[in-house]
Amino acid sequence: MIKPTNELPIAILGGGIAGLTAALHLKNHSVPFVLFESSDAVAGLMKSERDEEGFTYDCGVHFLTNRLAAAIGMSRDCQPMARYGETVHLRGRCYAYPLGLLASPKYLSSALIGKSKSLFASTASTAREYYSSQYGSRLSEEIAIPLTEAWSGANGDEVAAAVGQKFSTGLGRMMMLRTAAKMTNRVIGIGYASTIVESTNSWHVYPQGGISSVCHRIAEKVEENVRLNCNVEQIDVENERVQSIIVNGKPLPVAGVISTAPVHVLPKLVRGTNALAGLEKFEYRAMIFVNLKLNGPSGLTDVVTWVPERDYPFFRLSDIGMGLPWLVPNGKSQVTCDIGCKVGDSHWNMNDSELTKLCIDSLERMIPGIGKRACGSRVVRVPLAYPIFKVEYESKRKSWEQTTGVDGLLSVGRNGEFAHLLMEDVFWRTRWKVSEFLKNSL
Amino acid sequence: MRIHFEHVLCTVCRADDCLPIAVGEDFEYRTSDEEFMAVQCRRCRMVYLNPRPDAQGIEHSYPANYHAFQFNESDFGLVYRVRQRLEARRLLRWCRGLPEHAKILDIGCGDGFHLELLQRFGKPTWSIEGIDSDPRAAEGAKRRGIQIKQGSVEEVGFEQKSFDLIFMIMTIEHVSDPLAMLQCVSTLLKPGGRLIIVTDNTDSPDFRIFGNRHWGGYHFPRHLYLFNRQNLGELCQRAGLATVSVRTALSPVNWTYSLRNWIQDWKGPNWIVKRISLESPIALTIFTLVDLPLSLIGLGAILHGEFVKEKSE
Repeated sequence: MIKPTNELPIAILGGGIAGLTAALHLKNHSVPFVLFESSDAVAGLMKSERDEEGFTYDCGVHFLTNRLAAAIGMSRDCQPMARYGETVHLRGRCYAYPLGLLASPKYLSSALIGKSKSLFASTASTAREYYSSQYGSRLSEEIAIPLTEAWSGANGDEVAAAVGQKFSTGLGRMMMLRTAAKMTNRVIGIGYASTIVESTNSWHVYPQGGISSVCHRIAEKVEENVRLNCNVEQIDVENERVQSIIVNGKPLPVAGVISTAPVHVLPKLVRGTNALAGLEKFEYRAMIFVNLKLNGPSGLTDVVTWVPERDYPFFRLSDIGMGLPWLVPNGKSQVTCDIGCKVGDSHWNMNDSELTKLCIDSLERMIPGIGKRACGSRVVRVPLAYPIFKVEYESKRKSWEQTTGVDGLLSVGRNGEFAHLLMEDVFWRTRWKVSEFLKNSL
Repeated sequence: MRIHFEHVLCTVCRADDCLPIAVGEDFEYRTSDEEFMAVQCRRCRMVYLNPRPDAQGIEHSYPANYHAFQFNESDFGLVYRVRQRLEARRLLRWCRGLPEHAKILDIGCGDGFHLELLQRFGKPTWSIEGIDSDPRAAEGAKRRGIQIKQGSVEEVGFEQKSFDLIFMIMTIEHVSDPLAMLQCVSTLLKPGGRLIIVTDNTDSPDFRIFGNRHWGGYHFPRHLYLFNRQNLGELCQRAGLATVSVRTALSPVNWTYSLRNWIQDWKGPNWIVKRISLESPIALTIFTLVDLPLSLIGLGAILHGEFVKEKSE
């Protein structure tokens, strides 16, 4: 392993899972580093809170596998997920995904026509073309595209095909994994890692202390090099090579920078190069997670319910306690309503009680009487939740996947790579990218 | 007991460029409720445990009833007697051509099963020694009436260039730094002296079938490094030992453990699990028949490596 020759530290920007994974990797290789986190705690989007009643709130749904837990050395602190399944709510009916949908002749014929057409179709460039070629027009127009549009805030023709290609587990493989799940009584991960092969031996687990304990476990190992409340204000580049940073107003010479900052923020930090021009156009979707506390079971049929109909404010509902019973108090349930939005739009500007009312009123149409069982809510707002893969900057995104274009500057993590990566992908990709970075860029 | 984990590099190429290939438990002894991860180096295909328990955690994973501390006729019956015959033949084959007063060392000798066979069937003029790092192995050997040294081969202080033949039978996979140990072994061998390594083979069909969790060769978390022909030869070469041959050989053990682990892990019926064990002559016979043709075409479950300390060294 090549180490920086001048013994200057590598600066890591951001203390989420990507920044911490990079930090641990550098520590394992005795490479000097300092991790700067602008807030007063590590974990980033993986933070979780537990309230006095015993409800736990994460920023949306997180999926951890026994494989990732073992890689971090914390499998003993995790429990297997009790159950997991997805349904699609459409015109007042719930269809199990995918078999329930395929049991319906109209969706089955749509899928078969789509599949046979895809054999002769040219490469899709938009999400609409991709879904249509994969699932046929009915499944695509009624389910896949409305969900993508709600999730991204962009029209199906504006979104690049890559958004669907990321998570395509073939039906045969899915059936094999589901059969294994039934036989082993484990929640085998399907479609929740694209970097590492899905396996009958990789199933969902969850830490007893909420998802943030994953970050805290890694942070324990690198804590002497973590600086909280430290804002990196500038990254100085000379001759297309990173030289130094400015942290809380003070300059610091560095051997390199590993950034987890959103890619549209990074150009504002970097001075002395035009290599990052164009990244400021990249967009992220904001999310509001309305966590409804309920007396008794939620009435949802499975852990995740997709809601593609546009007259609902949310596109996804998650019954946390059904899958992870230790995260909610006995006799209660918790439903998280995911609302895709833009910072400053009408949803974003609603106050918490308005959002709660909006969600309960909408849920009443799906589960009559749910409002009477509501016993509180907690609203979590995430301004930068998911990258939006727009066609207009897809070629730039693809080149960004390869390199930042600046020597000594690496960008990792979901926001830093501008890719829809899940936790396990972030962990392994960060390790590999940091290894390459040490070998090639320092 | 909470196990603390440490990060390790590939022992062959010293790289940290690996893919996770398996997660598993201590299926055989249940010494811990942790899950352990095996990774494969993307450069040399070495398979190793990473992260792995620290020294204390590894020590904890060898229970008092560990098979290598007490492999005996009363517990294993017919299996013990058959294995005695087969192993004696193998050992004597490796001992062919040794001088009248040869010095032989068995590293990781456990309770002295192989030492006893060498004493019984070898030449009385041979000087035979054994060493194992676990005190319970020494106790087991004492029960056989054999004295062995306890400690690590690097620390015990054997005379350099003194051995004609050194055995590492099902040992190298347990060693935390195989390269360091092989370098030490290299200094103990006389010029022209030979090292015999027996270890699990990761280029075998049993590994391909069960390798993402249940493969017996993982022996989670006790097997720290697992080899194929190429990387075993490469590692020995780095330690100054030239390859004479690395062949695959027949062994029903990993097949038996793998199938048992799989059925047990997938909540199969207990009566089947009980019948698939190392005490079961039927299971061992079946898997011997399975591995026999494979070993004949170079895909056997274990590796037999013969290496020589070159005379110019």
